[in-house]
Amino acid sequence: MTSAAIKLDQVTKTFDGRVMAVDSVTLDIAAGEFFSLLGPSGCGKTTSLRMIAGFEHPDSGRVHVGGNDITDLPVHRRDMGMVFQSYALFPHRTVAENVAFGLRMREVPKPEIERRVAAALAQVALTGFETRKPGQLSGGQQQRVALARALVVEPPVLLCDEPLGALDRKLRQQMQFELKELQKRLGVTLVFVTHDQEEALAMSDRIAVMNGGKVEQVGTPTEIYERPRTRFVADFIGEINILEEGGRLRALRPEKIRLVAPDGARLSGTVETSNYLGGSTLLRVQPANGPSMLVRETHAGERASRAPGDAVGLAWNDGDAVALEG
Amino acid sequence: MSAAPNRRPFDAGRAAYLALNALLLGFLLLPIAIVLVFALNPTPYISFPPVGVSLRWFEKFFTNAEFMNALWLSLWVATVVLVLSIVIGAACALALARGSLPGRAVLTAFFMSPLMVPAILTGLALFQAYLLSGIGRPVWGLIAAHTLVAVPYVIRTTLAVLHNFDRRIEEAAAVLGASPVRVFFEVTLPLIRPGVFAGGVFAFIVSFDQFPVSLFLVVPKGETLPVVLFNYMKFDLDGAIAAASMVSILLALSVVLVLERLIGLKAYVKL
Repeated sequence: MTSAAIKLDQVTKTFDGRVMAVDSVTLDIAAGEFFSLLGPSGCGKTTSLRMIAGFEHPDSGRVHVGGNDITDLPVHRRDMGMVFQSYALFPHRTVAENVAFGLRMREVPKPEIERRVAAALAQVALTGFETRKPGQLSGGQQQRVALARALVVEPPVLLCDEPLGALDRKLRQQMQFELKELQKRLGVTLVFVTHDQEEALAMSDRIAVMNGGKVEQVGTPTEIYERPRTRFVADFIGEINILEEGGRLRALRPEKIRLVAPDGARLSGTVETSNYLGGSTLLRVQPANGPSMLVRETHAGERASRAPGDAVGLAWNDGDAVALEG
Repeated sequence: MSAAPNRRPFDAGRAAYLALNALLLGFLLLPIAIVLVFALNPTPYISFPPVGVSLRWFEKFFTNAEFMNALWLSLWVATVVLVLSIVIGAACALALARGSLPGRAVLTAFFMSPLMVPAILTGLALFQAYLLSGIGRPVWGLIAAHTLVAVPYVIRTTLAVLHNFDRRIEEAAAVLGASPVRVFFEVTLPLIRPGVFAGGVFAFIVSFDQFPVSLFLVVPKGETLPVVLFNYMKFDLDGAIAAASMVSILLALSVVLVLERLIGLKAYVKL
């Protein structure tokens, strides 16, 4: 399967002439990359995706796919695959007819359609469901039909708009593995829109964190988590402590903090609450002055060593407190 | 030792609910039952209690040339009205729901207005308009008038379907390579069809049972069944009227059942 690079070049989109949905966004997505657009609702991630798909036309800026400027190309000529949160299966057609749709539009000969539909359904483990209607399938099965329908045309680009959002936790995790595996095997460029930071961290090669129509940071999951550039990114991804040191803001992850004896510690205070999370415990520590601090104590076997009311000292390495811009 | 099975406690609310439903159903069905009794009662005038069962009134109805001509006229007028109404109504509903038309609320009200105006006024107004413009009273004038009052039903039911329509389904088709025209015929039309045809059933019945509008627009020897029945009742009040009513009811019912069978009016409720 071929894959194509995507480039958004200073793309801007306003709605009703007022609301700035996407504000001069530039992104370079490599061919074969699993790329996530991550952010809260209204941050412009879905609008960006819809401009790649062609449902929205940018007010200014260009969209390139595979080196071609496709900004003015209508949706149906862009040769992409797309998976929606609501699955958007054709309710009046069977599973096989749903999957065959894109091939039929491309006027692929009938025997080849049958062969490729069978292969696509096998790929998502839905062989035997050909004659069912979407309404007779579970959410996870519907999502897999949607995936097969998008991939059967072998698009160079697959767009996913919160595709796992409607699934329950366990199934979502399973589908995360399946989707990532499938993407790597096919080598397709995948643009994945989500507001779920864990999902983005788990699946992506790179992530663009968006806020207020702008891209705050682009990077690998590790970079985004370990080296957040702005306060927004630090806050949005996981738990964070924001420290002020000499007029500069620094971000410190709770798991980077060690619990030590109160005397002579960098910071000392009292444990206020202790939330047991299974693999770890999240403590909130109130220092004598200043804001409270989150501390993650990971434990292999033992329960948390501290209880509310205990006096503790906090220590961390200088390099773990990441300086933030602005 | 086994535990005694739990008895469902008497639920007064549920009983009242069932009673109310039975009452409503009776209220709807009783008149039909009465008409059926009169249609089968052989006495030459409408009376109660019935004295026997005979098909003489049905025979009279089906052998009367005037009734038969009117029945056929009504049937084919209603069929043409059905076709015109679903085409016009579905197009209107799509434009109202999808086109970003200025003053959409006003336009919707305008298209619905034939439902608000008493039908007898619509009939009178059309009669005068036809007369003044020299059209006269041709059958197509009657069909146009029926279509006018039938279209709002189709608009209403189609709008209801469009309201719950997930437009992502159309977008999915477009991404897969369907041009706008193909999206319409492959996805939009099949999905709004139940709503369109549900409105079509109403349109057929509105035309087939139409009396006030028809009254002004039919010509002698070219009268629809309700008008013929009305004229007949002015002089005779016998079982033939009841028999004709039964035939009307059965015809309307069979239209509903045939459409339900062919199209499945309840199909894809979950849109």
